[in-house]
Amino acid sequence: MALADASHFDRLVDFLKQKRDNVTFNDIISLAEVSAQSLQSFFQALDAKVYGELREIAQYIETMRHEIGALQVNDLKNSRIPAAGEELGAIVRATEEATHTLMECAEAVMAADASDPAAYKALVDEKMLVIFEACSFQDITGQRIAKVVETLQHIEERVSRFANVVQAKDINGFLTESERARAERKEKLLLHGPQLAGAGVDQSKVDELFA
Amino acid sequence: MAIDMSMPVLVVDDYNTMIRIIRNLLKQLGFEDVDDASDGSAALSKLRGKKYGLVISDWNMEPMTGYELLKEVRQDPGLAKTPFIMVTAESKTENVIAAKKAGVNNYIVKPFNAQTLKTKIEAVFAE
Repeated sequence: MALADASHFDRLVDFLKQKRDNVTFNDIISLAEVSAQSLQSFFQALDAKVYGELREIAQYIETMRHEIGALQVNDLKNSRIPAAGEELGAIVRATEEATHTLMECAEAVMAADASDPAAYKALVDEKMLVIFEACSFQDITGQRIAKVVETLQHIEERVSRFANVVQAKDINGFLTESERARAERKEKLLLHGPQLAGAGVDQSKVDELFA
Repeated sequence: MAIDMSMPVLVVDDYNTMIRIIRNLLKQLGFEDVDDASDGSAALSKLRGKKYGLVISDWNMEPMTGYELLKEVRQDPGLAKTPFIMVTAESKTENVIAAKKAGVNNYIVKPFNAQTLKTKIEAVFAE
């Protein structure tokens, strides 16, 4: 952007040439007026550019506010994530209870006296019914897992959208010291946990390593 | 070599259900003297207080893992020769190699069946 119109400078130069030997107070005022006129166009152009930039910043902030709002973090923090945690807790309890029931039935059958076939059959029939009932945990836990998966998808969609809008780039390192400590312990002690089907080594490959 | 079915066996796992499963499987195989511990440090205390013929341990436990327990056992002159089987869901090749280097006698990937447990115990005592 030009600082001012060249014509304004020409006027200043002409003015100073004419008044070089005899400058009065009025001349100084006139000079100030000419200078002000010269700079006016500069400030007008500057105003327009700054205004444009400020407007872009304001639009960006407005977009950010909208996108942060769209994340629905309070809903996630206060409702969805705690609910998912409760569902997972209920799944653990249900599977534990079912396993306990199944094992109790199996242990009762294994320990039963088979010398009286009729009594033995009655016991086995009774325990088999209990086993069938206990297996219903799979239906309930399946529904609970579906709710947790839905929450994860909800979070994934919002985080992905936000990351795209702000063009987020990951930074390396850990958010907290305890996060770092956990990661280092996992690394040091090779804690990988169960692998998905096909991802880890199966028993036959383990056996090859021990052959 | 015949397996002494009267030898005490120590099962180490932080899940009671898993301990119960292994205990029942061992009972089916004929082992009657089975103790349990919920992590490596509890197991180490038991091992230093009683002579066990076999340790069957999970890997992922707090505060002391099965891998740390294995290394402690192998470094302790009084326990170093105790047969040690790792029964774990940690099924990456590097886990298996690390356990083997640390001196594990055999390695079972969860989930497993009675036959696998039987075969691995027999293999350990055939060494």
